[in-house]
Amino acid sequence: MPASRFTQTGNYRVRYQQDQTIFATYAEQLSLVVLLLALLLLPLLISKTLLRDVNMIMIYAVAVIGLNVTTGYTGLINIGQAAFMAVGAYATALAATKLNLPFFLAIPLGGLAGAVVGTFVGLPSLRLKYLYLAVATLAFQIIFEWTVGHSPLLAQGGAIILPPVEVFGIKATFLNHNKVWYYIILPVLVVMGLLWRNILRSKHGRSFIAVRDNDRAAAAMGINPGVTKLTAFLVGSFFAGIAGGLFAYFQKAVVIEDYGLHTSVQLLAMAIVGGLGSVPGSFLGPLFIVALDRGMGGLSNFMSERQIFPPGVDAATALRPLAFGLSIMLFLIYEPRGLANWWRLSRMYFKKWPYKF
Amino acid sequence: MPQLHVDNVTLSFGGLNALSTVSLTVPEGEVVSIIGPNGAGKTSLLNCISGFYHPTRGRITFGEHDLSKAAPNVVTRYGIARAFQNLELFRGMTVVENLLLARHTHLNYNLLDSILYYGKASRVEAENRHYVEQIIDFMELEEYRHHHVGTLAYGVQKRVEVARALTLQPKLLLLDEPMAGMNVEEKEDMVRFILDIQRERGVTVVLIEHDLGVVMDISDRVYVLDFGQLIAGGTPEDVSADPRVIEAYTGVAEHEPLPQASPSPAQAVAR
Ligand SMILES: Nc1ncnc2c1ncn2[C@@H]1O[C@H](COP(=O)(O)OP(=O)(O)OP(=O)(O)O)[C@@H](O)[C@H]1O
Ligand SMILES: [Mg+2]
Repeated sequence: MPASRFTQTGNYRVRYQQDQTIFATYAEQLSLVVLLLALLLLPLLISKTLLRDVNMIMIYAVAVIGLNVTTGYTGLINIGQAAFMAVGAYATALAATKLNLPFFLAIPLGGLAGAVVGTFVGLPSLRLKYLYLAVATLAFQIIFEWTVGHSPLLAQGGAIILPPVEVFGIKATFLNHNKVWYYIILPVLVVMGLLWRNILRSKHGRSFIAVRDNDRAAAAMGINPGVTKLTAFLVGSFFAGIAGGLFAYFQKAVVIEDYGLHTSVQLLAMAIVGGLGSVPGSFLGPLFIVALDRGMGGLSNFMSERQIFPPGVDAATALRPLAFGLSIMLFLIYEPRGLANWWRLSRMYFKKWPYKF
Repeated sequence: MPQLHVDNVTLSFGGLNALSTVSLTVPEGEVVSIIGPNGAGKTSLLNCISGFYHPTRGRITFGEHDLSKAAPNVVTRYGIARAFQNLELFRGMTVVENLLLARHTHLNYNLLDSILYYGKASRVEAENRHYVEQIIDFMELEEYRHHHVGTLAYGVQKRVEVARALTLQPKLLLLDEPMAGMNVEEKEDMVRFILDIQRERGVTVVLIEHDLGVVMDISDRVYVLDFGQLIAGGTPEDVSADPRVIEAYTGVAEHEPLPQASPSPAQAVAR
């Protein structure tokens, strides 16, 4: 047993199973508990609009973990993650409205639908690589939007309204919608994050990274690159499907515009800014991009108050894409490992604190 | 008994024949070396055996398995492992992680077990780690266990490459110049590892090597390739006396015989 389980003073693991643990020291476990407590109390402390943003960030985080599975960990460029979200959203909406399933069944069903469709769309990855695969996923994004637009069953892309949910006797209403959904989305996100951490330390997670880093060597290890890529699509689009199901309920309706190409690009941006192939990055990326978006909104309000622009001109519509594109470029150039790298460096600093090295 | 048979294999790249009608046999439990000048087709032959290339004509079998059209990952499952000439390690991963990857086909759990990582997956992974540690002991890689492979010296990386192939628990191990670029001491170690792999673990070894001293010392059988053609094959003594081999190596016929088992690293070990 370790000499001290409070902080890490060295490696005291004597069994291989201990080497597999995720949160090893008491300090790590304690900080996790503190974090969870803070998260549980958060809705009581912040405004309704901010809570709405937090909910969005968490839903995007689920989708970005999934995008990291395919693009970050397995190296398969995927410009269709929003369409996989849409598959989940529509499946959830149909399950809720046509089959009258409760949300805790409808959302997992959305995840499964995403997984099935995603695996199918991943088939070209058996033959195509790099940009060619990106084009294949882009094609799916466009075909899917077009198909929804022509399907009467899916309201031709118009709104499919979802019924309000009831959890433990509490009905979600206009007033408490954001709070209720916060307490649904948060545990879903935590569970999904843990599931991904589990996959990552298993043979499946290792094979994803192996195929990304060197598919020749991976094949020489007996890993079937094709099966591995399809598995990555399966897992990645399962996450997208779950995120889509959550988003459908959270927005109270499914509209195809929410899942367009711009959303796919936005998800990619979140993954890149957060740090491709990193778990903390999947949280930091959505946080950054949503904060940037709100920041630009605020800046534009400030500028129109000071009458820097003529009245009636909404500077935000110009500032948003500008800041968005600029931040992707700057990250790609100066910090390709994303915010997750800053996160890692600051953690290392605190692990050694108060010693310098 | 799984024996490797290469039967009349031709491999063409456009007009060039990297291999022309090569036939050879690797009996179980032996160390069989393939020698030949640069560009003779040695690596191409290994590529055909391990499924990275498919012969243009001819057949390769291992026991009852036909390898001629098999994919690399399938060949690996038949019990054939390979260490690459140009290191093909996962450079961003540690030594342990590289070896854990090589256990992929031996781990019997599915995606659901992975997701839950409780009970079965956790237990299998602990056993997996245990096996990997045995190989680390065997190949004397303890001190590098948690080092990232890209940061290790070339000679050590070569050793990791062999260790990783061994972790696959193969029946047949293909080693493509495992001693290239090593100093004498490292070579001695590698020779010792190869002999231990054959004797203690009962693994058949196919070795490609330029150091003829080592080759003649440790091989049960030697095949010689030149310009894609098999020009000789037999015991080390026969081969080193063969005039065609001497010609291929020296460019002149009727020259001094090639070095027989002379002072070389292997001698100390083989005793
Ligand atoms: N993918 C390929 N495409 C075209 N030609 C190839 C290919 N692979 C090998 N060759 C050619 O086949 C011939 C044999 O190459 P090979 O790598 O098998 O030689 P080798 O005996 O391993 O040499 P070395 O001792 O330098 O490793 C060379 O002329 C090489 O250029
Ligand atoms: Mg070669």
